[in-house]
Amino acid sequence: MKRKLKIYTPFVNAGIQEVATYRVNWIFFMLGNAIACLVSYFIWAAVYSSGTKESMNGFTMPQMIVYIVLMFLTNTIIASDGAYVVGEEIREGSIIMRLIKPVSYNATFLFQELGNKLSTEIAIAVPMIITVEVIRTVLSGVLQFNAFNLLLYILSCALAYLVNFYFNICFGFIAFVIKYLWGANMMKNVVIGFLSGTVIPLSFLPDALEKVFLFLPFASLNYTPVMIYMEKYSGAQLWYYIGLQAFWMLFFFGLSKLLWKASVKRLSVQGG
Amino acid sequence: MIHVENLRKEFKKTVKDPGLKGSLKSLFKPKSEKVVAVDNISFKVAEGEILGFIGPNGAGKSTVIKMLTGILTPTSGSCTINGKNPTQNRKSYVKEIGVVFGQRTQLWWDLPLRETYGVLKEIYEVPEDSYKKRMAFLNEVLELDDFISSPVRTLSLGQRMRADIAASLLHSPKVLFLDEPTIGLDVVVKDNIRKAIEHINEQEKTTVILTTHDLADIEQLSKRMVMIDKGTKVFDGSIAGLKSKYGQIRELYFETDVKNAAEVLGYAEHFSLSSDDLSVEPEGNSVKVRFNSSIVPVSDMLSYTLNKINVSDINVKGADIEEIIRRLYEQGVD
Ligand SMILES: Nc1ncnc2c1ncn2[C@@H]1O[C@H](COP(=O)(O)OP(=O)(O)OP(=O)(O)O)[C@@H](O)[C@H]1O
Ligand SMILES: [Mg+2]
Repeated sequence: MKRKLKIYTPFVNAGIQEVATYRVNWIFFMLGNAIACLVSYFIWAAVYSSGTKESMNGFTMPQMIVYIVLMFLTNTIIASDGAYVVGEEIREGSIIMRLIKPVSYNATFLFQELGNKLSTEIAIAVPMIITVEVIRTVLSGVLQFNAFNLLLYILSCALAYLVNFYFNICFGFIAFVIKYLWGANMMKNVVIGFLSGTVIPLSFLPDALEKVFLFLPFASLNYTPVMIYMEKYSGAQLWYYIGLQAFWMLFFFGLSKLLWKASVKRLSVQGG
Repeated sequence: MIHVENLRKEFKKTVKDPGLKGSLKSLFKPKSEKVVAVDNISFKVAEGEILGFIGPNGAGKSTVIKMLTGILTPTSGSCTINGKNPTQNRKSYVKEIGVVFGQRTQLWWDLPLRETYGVLKEIYEVPEDSYKKRMAFLNEVLELDDFISSPVRTLSLGQRMRADIAASLLHSPKVLFLDEPTIGLDVVVKDNIRKAIEHINEQEKTTVILTTHDLADIEQLSKRMVMIDKGTKVFDGSIAGLKSKYGQIRELYFETDVKNAAEVLGYAEHFSLSSDDLSVEPEGNSVKVRFNSSIVPVSDMLSYTLNKINVSDINVKGADIEEIIRRLYEQGVD
């Protein structure tokens, strides 16, 4: 295990170096997210002010604000652009650099992206969590911070990231076979935005639909960590959802291995 | 060591008519076309041998190397290297080989070279003491010292190539694949790289397969070469063998005062030679004649020329390897 980590640390380093190069990209990504976050806020503010009930589907307006901010944070933490990177490497042939080394293709990606994240996300996660706590305290009048809960949230985010990572890798391989990556990627983001509760909390959906969506892998992305942070899950229910995340992670991990085997055979490295 | 049998690779190319209309059409009804890049190639390489691979642009050299290194899966046929099949069990296979693609680097673009080697040491599990020895050795033969602390992206082409070759040798591979390792290098660097390859081959019995467009690489490094053209093998043997098989072309050169010497001599009619076997290039008051000496012996050519006109200077050269290859590339091999 230790040796394994040693093998992959260079990829972490490479990831950290990349961030320096593509900082502007990242800033735009964050800006886009922040705007989406503001839009959500105004929509929900309008919904709540026109409604008569103080709480809708278990969410009060202050809780909705916390939900929106947490969604924003979680989205950033678990973001993965594997689908795009896989496609690019295959297209321009630099995939051979990974192929001729005795390392696992997926793992090199994973560690590279982790390096990427280490250098950006810690910088935003800490202030954001403090912000969330301040909002919660001000809005409810009592300090709600719970260290154990934060740990659970971090665990759940880690699982969510891995689900997202392997899902994206799978998507990248499939897109490689069917070739229309760009359009498919756009569609994917919209669909996931809806299915993962980023647009509307899943509890706002009709019961039957909510049940289905909660089981789908997309809820394991942002929704589960946010619900955990907001202490909407407890006891057995909590562990069920974390277990479900672990299940989807393993599922996509296995699927990515299979798809890799299948697509490496069809690879036609260009250039040279 | 290396067994290649009936290796074949087909690519599917999607063809698209030009323009927007073509794009739309191909979106709904993609047409694809089969390209045979490598067509039933077989050869063997013994342990410790250096094999040179030559052929015109697009012949399929790089495609063969990609199959041998496990990057591409053959459409049919097989290759076995050191008893292993490259596409099965990739990770354990690539540990035993070193690969350099001249046109692209395998080093980390942003890392200083020294760190890159540190990384490779971990990846290939090279023990500390042999790593130290190895680095000292590579430093000596490839002279990496001048740029070892610079990031890879700042290296010049020749420096990068030396760095890449060193990287491919760090783990003492049993087989080394080099796809155009001397592309774009100056004469001194080329020479250094050839010496390094030679040295490693002698010292460690490393089997080497290299492709190149520079025949001097082959002349200096390998006793044997394989020539491919349009995906098929057209020659397999030594350079001397190629010379004796295709090297009947001689070059006659003379100076004369006679105007229109070429017309006066009329070699083609006199010896009934086709344009494949004869070319005449008058230039000022000198004439260059290339002819096939297996049809017209050199002595006949000389005596005919000397009897017909007055010449002031005359000599006959055997064809050099460049000339032979040029003819083979232009006309194909029968
Ligand atoms: N990924 C690919 N898709 C379609 N055709 C390809 C692909 N790769 C190579 N080819 C075709 O296969 C043939 C052989 O290409 P290859 O790169 O092996 O040539 P080469 O001998 O290395 O040439 P060069 O000396 O120019 O490097 C060429 O006709 C090329 O167009
Ligand atoms: Mg090539």
